[in-house]
Amino acid sequence: MPAFITALLLMLAAVPATAAGLATDLSGQPITRLAPAGSRAVVLFFAASDCPISNRYVPEIQQLATEFASAGVYTWFVYPNPGDNAKVVRAHNVAYAINTRTALDTNQALVKMAHVGVTPEAAVFVPNGDQWREVYRGRIDDRYINLGNQRPAPTHHDLEDAIRAVLKNQPVPQSGGPPVGCSIIPLNP
Amino acid sequence: MNRGRWLQVKRIQSGLLALSIIALLSAAIHGQQTPHSQIPAPASSPVTWSKNIAPILYKNCTTCHHPGGAGPFSLLTYQDATRWAPQIANVTQSRYMPPWLPEHGYGDFKDELRLSEQDIATIARWVKEGTPSGDLAAAMPAPKYSSGWQGTPDLVLTIPRAYTLAAAGTDAYVELVLPYPLKQTHYIRAMEVHPSNPQVVHHADIIVDPDQSFRHEHPTDWQDGVPGMELDQIDTGKDFDPPGHFLFWKPDTPVLVEPEGMPWKLDPGNDLILDLHLKPTGKPEAITAQIALYFTDTPPIYHPMLLALERDGALDIPPGDANFVVEDSLPIPLDVQLFGLYPHAHYLGKRLEAWAVLPNQEKKWLILVPDWDIDRQAIYTYRKPIFLPAGTIVHMRFVYDNSAKNVHNPHSPPIRVLSGNRSEDEMAHLWLQVLPVNSPPNGPDPRLLLEMAWMQTWLKKDPGNLKPLYNIGSVLDLEGKSKEAVAVDEHILQLYPGDERTLNRLGVALEHSGDLKQAQGVFEQTIAAHPDACDARLNLGRLDFEGNQVGDAEQQFRLMLEKCPPEAVAESGLGVVLANEGREDDAKTEFQKALRIDPDDLTALYSLGDLALKENRIPEAETYLEAAEKAHPEDTDTRATLAEAYEQSGRLNDAITQLRSAIKMAPANAELHALLSQTLASSGELQQAITEQKDALRLQPNDADGWNNLGMEEASAGLLAEARQAFSHALQLDPGHTQARENLQRLPPS
Repeated sequence: MPAFITALLLMLAAVPATAAGLATDLSGQPITRLAPAGSRAVVLFFAASDCPISNRYVPEIQQLATEFASAGVYTWFVYPNPGDNAKVVRAHNVAYAINTRTALDTNQALVKMAHVGVTPEAAVFVPNGDQWREVYRGRIDDRYINLGNQRPAPTHHDLEDAIRAVLKNQPVPQSGGPPVGCSIIPLNP
Repeated sequence: MNRGRWLQVKRIQSGLLALSIIALLSAAIHGQQTPHSQIPAPASSPVTWSKNIAPILYKNCTTCHHPGGAGPFSLLTYQDATRWAPQIANVTQSRYMPPWLPEHGYGDFKDELRLSEQDIATIARWVKEGTPSGDLAAAMPAPKYSSGWQGTPDLVLTIPRAYTLAAAGTDAYVELVLPYPLKQTHYIRAMEVHPSNPQVVHHADIIVDPDQSFRHEHPTDWQDGVPGMELDQIDTGKDFDPPGHFLFWKPDTPVLVEPEGMPWKLDPGNDLILDLHLKPTGKPEAITAQIALYFTDTPPIYHPMLLALERDGALDIPPGDANFVVEDSLPIPLDVQLFGLYPHAHYLGKRLEAWAVLPNQEKKWLILVPDWDIDRQAIYTYRKPIFLPAGTIVHMRFVYDNSAKNVHNPHSPPIRVLSGNRSEDEMAHLWLQVLPVNSPPNGPDPRLLLEMAWMQTWLKKDPGNLKPLYNIGSVLDLEGKSKEAVAVDEHILQLYPGDERTLNRLGVALEHSGDLKQAQGVFEQTIAAHPDACDARLNLGRLDFEGNQVGDAEQQFRLMLEKCPPEAVAESGLGVVLANEGREDDAKTEFQKALRIDPDDLTALYSLGDLALKENRIPEAETYLEAAEKAHPEDTDTRATLAEAYEQSGRLNDAITQLRSAIKMAPANAELHALLSQTLASSGELQQAITEQKDALRLQPNDADGWNNLGMEEASAGLLAEARQAFSHALQLDPGHTQARENLQRLPPS
């Protein structure tokens, strides 16, 4: 039953090119390109430095980033919460030994682009002309059923399955359940 | 978590083998108490943080959720609460938080962490209405939490080396050993655990390992932490002193305080084993756990005991079975107070029930956990202990779900699951902390009756199991029924031919039954079958010595020194034999060797002191005996002999102090009272001397010498009529008592 997501056509390049609207890297430089031309996919992992469930997934995400880098998959740690400024995130990345590229989604442009609501949550995009098309959005795996209910180990690796499907040009299976974690703090509640 | 209690093979006397299983824990006590003052908001008035929410959070959440606390984030401020508002509403509605498994109304537990329906609705409304702050200045003051110890500990133990928890993976279980470094016994009234980063630790059990058996099982890696939760072979020690306390830590339990009169005990040489359930956080975590102990000088007045219902043997859960049931029951043979309990299963456990059927057939619920979760396991202590009269039967009924629908199922797809110590195996345990009450004051230790009822129940479930059989034998031997113990041991040996532990204990039981020759034969047989059976060698050497076969004893100790790991007890045992043969110089050499292995070896220190005293080298005697007293303050013989040395060097007050301390430890020892009486008389304290001598005679009324001494003291104090009576009494007991007769004649006529 894996369904294509075809309705979400999103153009990063088409986002108004004001610097204020773009995510930045840890040195404050706007990120104008999520991946170079010719990339197979972009994976955004929405994280929060103070969210325990998000943190517990750091090793898995790092491993996925490493594993699929050579296949042309660009993975980003994206920090969308207002408290996660460059200083906080830099310290967090050191503590968790995160060496994957990192974005501060100060204006939550990537949140809007990916339509995510919690950390940890992931989104996978594939190139569609000079735009990005979202083909997966949701949980990393099925370890957490809801807050307080978790499996000893995951039985379905939703994000990994999605990436593999993209690389095989197969229909992308969608998340089998809701993402579980900490709500992303809205900018203007 | 499977804790083994093997009653230990006795070196010198017989002991109990401890069972498998055990988790010792302790009554959880809440440190911070926050006033309960939440004000229900009328439907019309707005719900605000300062008026309605802060009081709920301060009472129920911030014990863990404060900076540096065990919760993964703080909920102390308005900003904190709004940061986590959707999650707070979510987890309170699902009752995931605060963490509390038992169903309300099925046991009245202390420290129940349960929000009222009204509180939950208030939180939900606050979040729905946009988390209004209200007047922040008017909010109740936030509770204060200290990051250090809650008091001033008497002793802080730290694990030898930090343990590193990997960044990722499934939950981990690890055993960390913390040796108790002191040379004196201490009673523990309270304990705190700082598992370093508390957010990493689900919970921790602490087990006392009296004889370092776990360390010996893991000689090379115990300092690094031993993965797993397999503590099957923890011996309970040489004396019958079964575990009686739940020693348990969970994040919302800052301090474990024992009830008044019920401290637990640590003896020199004990280890504490910290059994941690750890959850990876995404980065490597260094665990540098510490345990703080708070002492009391007052020994326990009450001796609780941990008992277990268990049905591990019936755990054979087919894959897909969502409703697998096991049951067990345990008759309680005497009146007890039930202080608390600890139900335990692993990831397949679903519904855990326990109840008691009283002798009048009334059913009394003890606990109901409708939705078990190993991650939130705890000890549950009753607000008031529950009285269970003799004849009560305690029942447990555990239901397991081995279907794919059980999200906690560690196997995907489900597979057949049996009992075992690994977290992916299962367990069915219900531990009870009971205190025997209404027992006759001079009867046998009531815990022996409990042990026997427990072991007999166990044996019925598992007729060939060595542990209950062995423990039944130990109880019989401890009750003085050594012939029955012999029969049990012989039965065990039919089932387990040549079992070393049982053979050694058979020898001890035979010795207790008076059959020394056969006992010797059994020890010899043990050694023949198990050349490294050092306990049996020690027992044989001791028996040879006591049977005046001094040459054989010497040979046995020499063989022990040759074949067994170096032990001070073997050197000093040989020393005692040599001293007895009149070879004092050789004996001293052995005692010195013993002290090189263990500078605190009591036999060596005492014997060297005693020899010096006999040879009138008083300062040397005092040096050894003082060292013995310092290392073994509980040894009354040492104190008595040290008092003798002091007396000889004219230090009468020091002698009196030693004897008074000894009497405090052994108030029923008539000889100590008599010695103190004589020392007091020497120092001119006649009234006190008379009181002590009377105490001695109350304990040993047929001691003619004692009556004669009392008469002399009374005569010196001018109490002539009383003295006459005492001398006459001595003569009544022993008409040939020459001194008493002469003393009586010396008294002026009445």
